[in-house]
Amino acid sequence: MTTVPTFSRGRAPGEPPPAEPPRAPEPPRRRSPLAKREGRVAYLFLAPWFVGMVLITIGPILASLYLSFTEYSLLQPPEWLGLDNYRRMLEDERLHTALRVTFTYVLVSVPLQLALALALAFFLDRGVRGLAVYRSIYYLPSLLGGSVAIAILWRQIFGTEGLINQLLGLVGIEGQGWVSHPDHALSTLIVLNVWTFGAPMVIFLAGLRQIPAMYYEAADVDGAGGFTKFWRITVPLLTPIIFFNLVLQIIGSFQTFTQAFIVSGGTGGPADSTLFYTLYTYQRGFGSFEMGYASALAWVLLVIIAGFTAVNFLAAKRWVHYGD
Amino acid sequence: MGGRRRRTSLASVLAVALLAGGCGSDDGGGDGDAAGSDEQVTLRFAWWGSDERRELTEAAIAAFEEQHPNIDVQGEYIEWSGYWDRLATQVAANDAPDVITQEERFLREYAGRGALLDLSEYEDTIDLSQLDPLVTGSGEVDGGLYGLPTGVNAYVVYANPRLFDQAGVELPDDATWTWDDYIRIANEITAATGGEIVGAMDYGGNEAGLKILARQHGQELYDEDGELALEPATLAQWWEYSLQLRDGGGTPQATLSAEQQDTGSPEQTLLGTNRAAMAWYWSNTLAALSGASGGELRLLRPPGEHERERTGNYYKPAMHYSVSARTEHPEEAAMLVDFLLNDPAAIDAVRSDRGLPANLEQRERILADLNEHQVAEAEYLAQIQEDVVDAPPAPPVGAGQVVDIIKRLNIEVLFDRLSPDEAAEQFINEVEAATG
Repeated sequence: MTTVPTFSRGRAPGEPPPAEPPRAPEPPRRRSPLAKREGRVAYLFLAPWFVGMVLITIGPILASLYLSFTEYSLLQPPEWLGLDNYRRMLEDERLHTALRVTFTYVLVSVPLQLALALALAFFLDRGVRGLAVYRSIYYLPSLLGGSVAIAILWRQIFGTEGLINQLLGLVGIEGQGWVSHPDHALSTLIVLNVWTFGAPMVIFLAGLRQIPAMYYEAADVDGAGGFTKFWRITVPLLTPIIFFNLVLQIIGSFQTFTQAFIVSGGTGGPADSTLFYTLYTYQRGFGSFEMGYASALAWVLLVIIAGFTAVNFLAAKRWVHYGD
Repeated sequence: MGGRRRRTSLASVLAVALLAGGCGSDDGGGDGDAAGSDEQVTLRFAWWGSDERRELTEAAIAAFEEQHPNIDVQGEYIEWSGYWDRLATQVAANDAPDVITQEERFLREYAGRGALLDLSEYEDTIDLSQLDPLVTGSGEVDGGLYGLPTGVNAYVVYANPRLFDQAGVELPDDATWTWDDYIRIANEITAATGGEIVGAMDYGGNEAGLKILARQHGQELYDEDGELALEPATLAQWWEYSLQLRDGGGTPQATLSAEQQDTGSPEQTLLGTNRAAMAWYWSNTLAALSGASGGELRLLRPPGEHERERTGNYYKPAMHYSVSARTEHPEEAAMLVDFLLNDPAAIDAVRSDRGLPANLEQRERILADLNEHQVAEAEYLAQIQEDVVDAPPAPPVGAGQVVDIIKRLNIEVLFDRLSPDEAAEQFINEVEAATG
């Protein structure tokens, strides 16, 4: 069977999965003094991580849950509000804009990115010469895509006097600015996200390599064509990998911040067309000192992402084949 | 491995990845007593701005440290937009700098929430007698004195005479020109140069210009109580002018205006790159803009000063110095503020970088040996004195958000997504919510 990548804790969406799922060691039957001492040493080594986890991660998360029920300006102690912050969201029109922008982005860019990643992985798997080189080149954007530098570059390329419009000018088309036009700005960010297809591509490639050749040979004997083989053998055997990529990319896309922040200069503009949920949360928290409301927004995003992920896992029972 | 285990571990991945914002904070921290005068003291002094400002300011700090060998001043500087994010988190973490540079729209935010020291209690240390009365009042909030103005600024229509020549259009008489003149001239320049030069940069996203128009109508952006005090018709007219310029060619196409609106540095603006003949900026930007454009720029008064009920121009405190309420060394911090405002050594170092000095005696003293940019700036400020009737009331808490609101609505108008009337209505709703 194929090896299914496991969701290990703390792995960033962009990183490739480990080659092997971690295997739990056999527990010793009787703990010798040496084993006990080693156990203590192990906890000692774990301590820095554990302390960091509690202080830097779990503590703030719980604090933000509390703050989400308060009005907290950063400058004065928080004041209890109950559910007011959550009620306010129902009438917050800019939040509704932010939700619309974010959902559009996720629903458009994730399928496009995965389709491109799968297509290229499929192509590279056909035995291209210099595979390692191509794989690295295609992977490169995934390493750079979330960076400030690329976002600034994007702003330049898609600007009114940027590269794209200069090229269009050569063929006589006078283009408008792309990142600065309310109707096009989000599309440029979708293109930027699709462009970072390298991470899922590498994972697809690893998955494709693990499909045993005998299936294809058997299909050849039966006289199946290329499309049939792709549809009937490759895709079903790849569904765990597709599923894995889908979940990670959806989560990652919901959390998009850097690109939108840089490309719009922190405003979510032009005219709120790139007002991502996280950017709006940031504006509320740090721009207008509404940390309580920002915390509530963050918790709602957590619920949204958890909801999407849960639906994904439920639906997965219908279409993901683990090959057993 | 079942799906369940993966689901839980995934949930923790999200939880870890999601929350960067919320930080715990404790709010203990009583005020420390004033330190003795010979004790070794370290003060932190925060400001925003360019590298040039850093050099000037550090020279002033060095002069202060020479006078007070027991005080060590550490500068903390960052560019404008990052400044406010950092200050908010520092104050929340009980780690605010001792001396804080403020801007009037944020001053009230901090003062109103108890983050700043009432400087009226330190009048023995800080000499207020020489400060320009036109701007000193701007630091008063709810009866306390929380900020002292660094210097004086005013809003200007910069004009590039070489580009006017190139277009064959005459420079207007800025004492009498109307808004219609402004629009007509901008449109003419674009037409005369075939679009190679645009008449003006779009200015519809800038509050200061709107404030001037409102005052010309006998209204204010905010009244004494911090309530919005301008009529929707004034706002609609404001954006109507923008559309007349956009449609007449006087300002560039909307996408370019949208990009320019977020351009922070003068070197990259259309005025700085000699591609626009006019633009609205603060008077202390003159040196940077002239440097970028590589030639002389004229400072024109805003249009319409004698067109309606009254004149609209006003002096604005460029920045304020304030002191953190939680400083351990209030006396020394007050000494530093006094030094920066009144001491000849500080004025010689900083000159007009923070506006023309608020200290009238010192302003007079340095006028004699200003460079050409500073002279032009000083002359402009002197020239508009006949137009300046009064100072606008201080903006209310929450006014800092209006910076972004007006920019966003301006884009909505420029792209015809909202009519000027609709944008006016939305402006009023959003600003009332932000400042309410």
